[in-house]
Amino acid sequence: MDIAVLVKASLDVNLVRGDAEGRLLKEAIPLAISEYDRNAVYEAVRLRDALGGKVYILSVLTWGPTQRRMRDFENVVREALALGGDEAHVVVDEAAVEAGPKATAYILSKLVDKLGGVGLVLCGEASMDMMASQVSNYLASYLGYNSVTFVRELSIEGGKVRCKRDLENYIEMVETELPAVISVTGEINKPRLPTLLQIRRAFAKPLKTYSLSDIGVSELPKQTPTKYELVKVSRKNIIIEGASMEEIASKLVDKLIEEGVLRR
Amino acid sequence: MKALAIGFKPSDLGEALAVLNRLAEALGEELEANALIISKEPFKHGGFHKIYHVKTASLYNSIGSIYKVMDDLTVDTVVSPNIKDGVDLLGRVATKIDGFMVTEVSSIEKIDGDVYLARPILGGRATAYYRYTPGTLFTYTVGKFQPIDEAGEPDVIEVTTEPGSYTVVGVEEKKRGAVDIESAEVVVGVGRGFRSKDDIKMASELAELLGGEVGCSRPIAADFGWLDEDRWIGISGKKIRPKLYIPIGISGAPQHIMAANDSKVIVAVNKDKNAPIFNYSDYGVVADLYQFLPVFIKVLRERLVK
Ligand SMILES: Cc1cc2nc3c(=O)[nH]c(=O)nc-3n(C[C@H](O)[C@H](O)[C@H](O)COP(=O)(O)OP(=O)(O)OC[C@H]3O[C@@H](n4cnc5c(N)ncnc54)[C@H](O)[C@@H]3O)c2cc1C
Ligand SMILES: Nc1ncnc2c1ncn2[C@@H]1O[C@H](COP(=O)(O)O)[C@@H](O)[C@H]1O
Repeated sequence: MDIAVLVKASLDVNLVRGDAEGRLLKEAIPLAISEYDRNAVYEAVRLRDALGGKVYILSVLTWGPTQRRMRDFENVVREALALGGDEAHVVVDEAAVEAGPKATAYILSKLVDKLGGVGLVLCGEASMDMMASQVSNYLASYLGYNSVTFVRELSIEGGKVRCKRDLENYIEMVETELPAVISVTGEINKPRLPTLLQIRRAFAKPLKTYSLSDIGVSELPKQTPTKYELVKVSRKNIIIEGASMEEIASKLVDKLIEEGVLRR
Repeated sequence: MKALAIGFKPSDLGEALAVLNRLAEALGEELEANALIISKEPFKHGGFHKIYHVKTASLYNSIGSIYKVMDDLTVDTVVSPNIKDGVDLLGRVATKIDGFMVTEVSSIEKIDGDVYLARPILGGRATAYYRYTPGTLFTYTVGKFQPIDEAGEPDVIEVTTEPGSYTVVGVEEKKRGAVDIESAEVVVGVGRGFRSKDDIKMASELAELLGGEVGCSRPIAADFGWLDEDRWIGISGKKIRPKLYIPIGISGAPQHIMAANDSKVIVAVNKDKNAPIFNYSDYGVVADLYQFLPVFIKVLRERLVK
């Protein structure tokens, strides 16, 4: 059985850029691997090592302009390969930019069809930039697979998957049959940083790029936001300095009293 | 407008009614609200035309039931609180009806005659606006819409569940404290800069001294389990609005700090002078927390107790 892992090149939430009018400067924000997709790759590698098969890294570039994003995008995909993926299959097409989770899932379903033999798809519980938690359910539905979300522990035995779903107030143990799409939480494992050797090897692994027409997609169920706005935060940003911890602590206490936030 | 609200507990229905009223008002339409409740025991709430009840606490035992109800109703929209099961369920319904869904709507706006659903993206650093068209489903942020209480006792219709392709083999309750960090006046935030569970005592001591509560970043609660999850601050945890928030050994990921934006004053302690947390703070102390905290506690104690 082969495993596909969905990896998104997200806008880097730590490097958000905007202008003075509160407009979001999307194109100036670099791409980074979506945090929980690392966990998904790591989990897939663990399962592959136990059960055999291949780990495919699948990704659709959804931030444009695609031309200018290619270097960042490839870095993200190579990072997933360095974490242990065997081959990458990615879609780059201007029509997929900001097309939304449903369209993304549709594209990914065509890619999974094309590869064939994928019994399990793993993905993150939410992408770092859009946090929709929607791609997995749409994808499962397009593929006709079972779908389990928010999974923090999983095991496979004889065609069955057993998952621990991490919900707000309880942990729920669920069983379902393969093939399945499973979204994992950041707590499922602790990915190690790839070693230099793994990074170097990642550059020799196959990476195949497709356009939408290559995988037989002509129309997309798009859902694009009509507008974005920056959330403004303004804080004083004062660093308290001093020759000793005592001095810093007492200057800080002065400030807190000045601000009226200490009960005295 | 005909709508279906998903409820998992009694307070969901008052909130759903507020959301649906807001939407109907923005659209300039009459509202017919119906509800589907997924819970062990049924509950009632005025303002609804029909209330359907599936007797189970587990969504995965009852996924098929919503399709039955929807066949019975033909609605324009389905809404649910933005909890994980709500997001999962609406995602499934959206695929079933070949519709669209918007996750975590925090406000409904009318702009130039069109109705928009606004939601946080980029870890809360930005807002995205989606045009609402009939057939769009959405989850709404819990706590953002003032619940509506309405008198009335609609009939409750029991819906039987059919076993689907999932088997729930067990449920484990999570440990809950009795804290309410969302309404605390002072919050001391614990992050991965703390090296062990035991060291959190320092943060507790500081919180106690300041008359506040201890909160934490996601890994401290979800990953290490050093604190209960009701102390987890962030877009996927609690939103806080204290007079004073003191994040210690927390790097300042947007998913954490954006949930503390309504704090009056933020004071960060971090040993890395380039940590993003300082950009979101009023006052910053660049120091090893193990050196600074004991001194800070001592100085505070001297000056507060005077
Ligand atoms: C979709 C999504 C949702 C998320 N939701 C949340 C959420 O709700 N809440 C949340 O908190 N996170 C959330 N996260 C995770 C978030 O991205 C960060 O990974 C997390 O907040 C980091 O926690 P931290 O700051 O404690 O740890 P780190 O990022 O590891 O930071 C530790 C900090 O401690 C400092 N430090 C280390 N040692 C010391 C010392 N001795 N003295 C002083 N400082 C020290 C370091 O300089 C560093 O800045 C989410 C992520 C995603 C992708
Ligand atoms: N463009 C994409 N390419 C590949 N995988 C994606 C893409 N967008 C989302 N995913 C996967 O779906 C998960 C959930 O994304 P979302 O539904 O946007 O929150 C992510 O963690 C990824 O694993």
